[in-house]
Amino acid sequence: MENSPTTLGSKGLIKKHEFLRVIIQCLYSLGYKKSASCLEIESGVRYKSVEFDLLESQILNGDWDDCIDTLNKIKDVKDDTRSSVLFLVFKQCFLEYLNRGDDSLALSVLQKRVPTLHMSNETVHKLAYNILALKEMELGKLDEDVISELRKRLVMELGKQLPPPIVLPERRLEHLVETSVTAQIDSCIYHNSQDAVLLYEDHCCGRDQIPTETVQILTAHSNEVWFIQFSNNGEYLASSSSDCTAIIWKVMDNDKLTMKHVLRSHQNPVSFVAWSPDDTKLLTCGNLEVLKLWDVETGTCKHTFGDHGFTVSSCAWFPDSKRIVCGSSDPEKGICMWDCDGNEMKAWRGMRMPKVLDLAVTSDGENLISIFSDKEIRILNLRTNAEQVIFEEHSITSLSVSIDSKFFIVNLNSQEIHLRDVAGKWAKPLKYTGHKQNKYVIRSCFGGINSMFIASGSENTQVYIWNRQSSTPIEVLSGHSMTVNSVSWNPKRPLMLASASDDHTIRIWGPSQSNKIQPAETST
Amino acid sequence: MDVDPRLYEQIAVNDNDIHNIIMSYLVHNCFKETVESFIACTGMKQPSDYLEDMEKRKRIYQFALEGNALKAIELTEQLATNLLEKNKDLHFDLLSLHFVELVCSRKCTEALEFAQMKLTPFGKEQKYVEKLEDFMALLAYEEPEKSPMFHLLSLEYRQHVAESLNRAILAHGNHPTYTAMERLIQQTTVVRQCLNQEHAKVIHQTFCHEYLVQRNIKLH
Repeated sequence: MENSPTTLGSKGLIKKHEFLRVIIQCLYSLGYKKSASCLEIESGVRYKSVEFDLLESQILNGDWDDCIDTLNKIKDVKDDTRSSVLFLVFKQCFLEYLNRGDDSLALSVLQKRVPTLHMSNETVHKLAYNILALKEMELGKLDEDVISELRKRLVMELGKQLPPPIVLPERRLEHLVETSVTAQIDSCIYHNSQDAVLLYEDHCCGRDQIPTETVQILTAHSNEVWFIQFSNNGEYLASSSSDCTAIIWKVMDNDKLTMKHVLRSHQNPVSFVAWSPDDTKLLTCGNLEVLKLWDVETGTCKHTFGDHGFTVSSCAWFPDSKRIVCGSSDPEKGICMWDCDGNEMKAWRGMRMPKVLDLAVTSDGENLISIFSDKEIRILNLRTNAEQVIFEEHSITSLSVSIDSKFFIVNLNSQEIHLRDVAGKWAKPLKYTGHKQNKYVIRSCFGGINSMFIASGSENTQVYIWNRQSSTPIEVLSGHSMTVNSVSWNPKRPLMLASASDDHTIRIWGPSQSNKIQPAETST
Repeated sequence: MDVDPRLYEQIAVNDNDIHNIIMSYLVHNCFKETVESFIACTGMKQPSDYLEDMEKRKRIYQFALEGNALKAIELTEQLATNLLEKNKDLHFDLLSLHFVELVCSRKCTEALEFAQMKLTPFGKEQKYVEKLEDFMALLAYEEPEKSPMFHLLSLEYRQHVAESLNRAILAHGNHPTYTAMERLIQQTTVVRQCLNQEHAKVIHQTFCHEYLVQRNIKLH
C-alpha cells in the first residue's frame, strides 16, 4: 500500500485520499456503515476531518469555550462563514445557559461575545427577543434528550456551513456523477429520450433517436399545404391548405395517421390553425379569410368570428380554452380577444397600430407575443401590462413558442432562425442557419424532449433539424419536391415530426429503420 | 396673515372664562400651590373633587417621569381602580418603563427576570411584539445608551408615558383629557391655517382676473 500512487485517473487530476473520502461519505449516506468504517480503517482516510471530529465531540459534550477556540483556529475559512458558525454556537450556548437558569452567563454571551461577530442588528435583536419566546415554551423543562438533540442539529448545521475540506458537501459522489452524466447528455446532439442513462458506458445517442426518415405521406390536400400543427395531447394533426380546406388527422397507436375530418367552409386559402389547450376545439384562419371555430370531435363549424371583412392572419388560445386572441394584417382590426361565442372582450387597435403578422400566447397565459409590421417583436405581460419591444434587422415571417413558455423562435427572410428568451434577459439571440428562406413564409417549431430541437421548413424542399445548442443543422431531411412551408413536432411522441409542402403533401417522419420500408401514401 | 387688531378689540372677554382656562391648565398639570394661590387671588370657587386627586396625580406623574414605574402603577391602581386592567397599552408602557430603568441601572439579570415574568404575556398579541423586540434588544448591549434603541432611555420617552398616564387618569374620573388652553391653541392654529389657505385662493383668483381683463379676455 505504501507505494500506491497519490493520484488517480489517466490525467492525474484526482487525488486518491479525496476520492476515497468521497466514496466513504457515499457509503455512509447509503446506509452501509460497516463497509464505510471498514474502508476508513483499511485506507487510513477519515470521512470526517480531524477539526470537524473535534468540533463534534466538543459540541455534543457542551464544551463551548473549547469549541469556540477550535472554530477560531480553523484556517481558510472566510470571515463571514466563521462569524455565522460562531453565532450558531453562541446561540446554542445562550439557550443552554438560559435553560439551566444561568441568566448572567447567558447575558454575558449576548453582550460580550455576540458583538464581536458584527452580525446585523436584526439578527442580534431577534436572539435577545428569543429569551421571551423560550420562556413562553417553558424552556426550563427541557430535558437532557432535547438538549442533546439540539446539539446534534447544531453539528449538522455547522456541517452545512463549513467549507471543504473540513466538511464534504452532502452527497458529493452523487453530485459528481450527476454532473458528468448531465455534461454527456448536453454534449449528445441526438439526445431525445427520458430513459435513465446507463453509468456503465459513456452516453451517446444515435440518429435513431430523432425522426430522419419518411414513414408516411399524406396526400389528401389538392393544393399547397401551408400549415400543420399537432394537438397538445399528440393524438391529432391539423393541416391547412390553399385548397381552402383544413383537415384533422388522427394519430393511431401504430404511429400511422388517418383522416378524421375535412373542414370545408372557407372561401379562400387557410394559412393557420390553432388547437385549444384541451384539444376539443380548433381555430382556422387565413390572410384573406375569416376566423372559424370547429368542434374536433364532430368536425362541425361552431362559430365564425366577425364579418366577411374581418380577415385574420393568426390566432392563439388562452390556457382556459375559453378565450382566444387573433391578429389581423389590417391595422384597423389590430388584435382582438374573444370568447368562444364571438363576444369581444378586449381589443388593441387604432390608427397607430401596425399590422400583425403572427402572434402567440405562452402556455402559462402570462405573455402575448406579437410580430408587428415585418421586423418588430412585442412581448406583453398580460398580468402587469409591461411590454418588451425587440427589433430584428430583417423581416420576420413566423413565430413559435416552446412548450415551457420560456423561449420563442422567429424565422427571418435573411435565412436565419433566432431563439430568444421570453423573460428578455438575453442580450443577443441564439442563431440557426443552413436552411433557405427569402421569399416565402416558412415556419419552424421546437421539438423533442425538453424542446431540445428546432425543426424548420425551407425553400429548397428540405426539412432542417438543429440541436438547440448548435447553430448548424444536425440533420437535413429530403423527400418533398417543393418548398416546405411548415413543420410540427409531436409534443407527446418525440420521434414523430410532420412537414407540409407546396407539393400538396404532408410527410410524417420517424426514426431511421434498419430494414427500409417504402413510406405508405394516405389520401383518404 | 395678521388680522387688524381693530377687528377684535371690540369683542368683550369674560374674566371668569379666562380664570377657568388658567385654572384648568394648572389643575391638569398638578400645580397645587399655584392653584391655591390663584383661587385666593381671584376669589374663585374651589373645585374640591379636582383638588383631592391632584396631589396623587402629581406623585404618579413624578414617579413615571423618574422611571419608578412600579410605584406609579401602585398609586394608579389606588386612584383609578381597573384603569390599567382596561388600558393594556398603558399598562405595557409602564411595565416597559420599569424594565428600561432596570437596564439603565445595569441590573440586567433582574431586567431579564422581570421581562420573563411581566412582559412575556404581552407577546401573545401581535401589536406588542415589535415593541417587545425593541425593549428586549436593550439587553444585547453592555451600554444600552449607545444602542440603536437609545430613545427608549430618554426623558422624552418617560414624559410621553407620564403624560399618557395623566390623561388616562383624568379620563377615568370623567375629566377633560386636554386643557382648555391646549384646545384653544389647537383651534386657533387650525383656523389660521384655513384662513391662510382661503386668503391664498382669493389672491390667486384676483390676480388671474386682472390678468385676463388686461388682455381683454372674457371669462365664461
